[in-house]
Amino acid sequence: MTSHASDLIHKQGLQFFGSVNASISHELKNIFAIISETAGFLNDLTQLSKQGQAFDLSLLENCSNSIAEEIERGFDTIRQMNQFAHSVDDPVKETAVHDTLALAVKLTGFLSFAKKTKLEPSGKEISIDTSPFLLQTLVYRTLSTLYRALDTGSELTLTLRESETSLVTVIFSHDRQADLNDFPDSRTADVADLLDASFTRTDTGLALTLPRENNDLRHKFAGG
Amino acid sequence: MTETEKIHLLLVDDEEKFLNALTERLKLKFFDITPATNGEDAIKVAKKARFDVAVVDLQMPGIDGVQLLETLKQSHRFLEVIILSGHATIDTAVACTKLGAFKVLEKPCGFDKLVECIKEAYESRLKKKFENDTQRMKKIQSLAFGQSALGILRELHKMDDHQK
Repeated sequence: MTSHASDLIHKQGLQFFGSVNASISHELKNIFAIISETAGFLNDLTQLSKQGQAFDLSLLENCSNSIAEEIERGFDTIRQMNQFAHSVDDPVKETAVHDTLALAVKLTGFLSFAKKTKLEPSGKEISIDTSPFLLQTLVYRTLSTLYRALDTGSELTLTLRESETSLVTVIFSHDRQADLNDFPDSRTADVADLLDASFTRTDTGLALTLPRENNDLRHKFAGG
Repeated sequence: MTETEKIHLLLVDDEEKFLNALTERLKLKFFDITPATNGEDAIKVAKKARFDVAVVDLQMPGIDGVQLLETLKQSHRFLEVIILSGHATIDTAVACTKLGAFKVLEKPCGFDKLVECIKEAYESRLKKKFENDTQRMKKIQSLAFGQSALGILRELHKMDDHQK
């Protein structure tokens, strides 16, 4: 791996990996807190019943439904954590872009300042030769910046397009104005450079263009 | 605690299910609960009603827990604020304590531990209020000597400023 690629992975990469894992653990804590309080409330109702006090039986149903929903939310979160953890398995490989976008939308959804985000379905699977972890980093950082720049209540739509045979474009369009004058920041620009990706502004948002093939990236990771 | 001595509690968390479950459980313990799902709503209700203790989450959309803690402590001198969050770190705990938080608890926190903490916070509020009232009485007594009625009223107004 070249020293620049190595620096980027070790400094930015570890920091990003840590911050995403922290946000996942916070999400899990919230889920456990809901399960814990709901189970506690069920116990309180049981005690009331033992004391002969009447209560609305629909409360029991609400509690058990809530626990079941939170367990499902927990499984979903763990699946995302697992998927994210495996993004570092291969430095460079054929990567399904839509799956990467879907995971980034879910992971950034744990951020308190996240905005409502819709990922348009792609007609067919579009894969590119890239670093899955750095691509995840790039999309995550772009989404985080957009969430911070957009007002509460704004909505974001992600669309994936094959602009040319050798290029793939991700369009981040938003329904309200956003101040993106400082975007991309130096860290995001570093990741984009390494992936040979580029950002362009559009009237309604941003377009991220990625190469389908990236032999140069394989060369960088191989240490050439 | 009995129903006649209810503690007035402001509970703020953007996780609605958590807020609802905790509200129901605390009601059974004779707390008088006002739930709010964001900082903006919490500030609005705090302007209208008197609360003894607030339990506040840290990460919320809009006004976050730290900003809410600052606002509540500025406008309600005797209100005790407990931070209850899954995002608490040592740094945030130190920052919140400096801003006047009574305690920082990590989610998920045992229910009994939370109830105990709320009671301690309530006692702390009563103690601070009692000490303030005692000081106030002393000041009133000293003011009563050689002051006009209007002068006494002016001084009392100054003392009572921001004492919600």
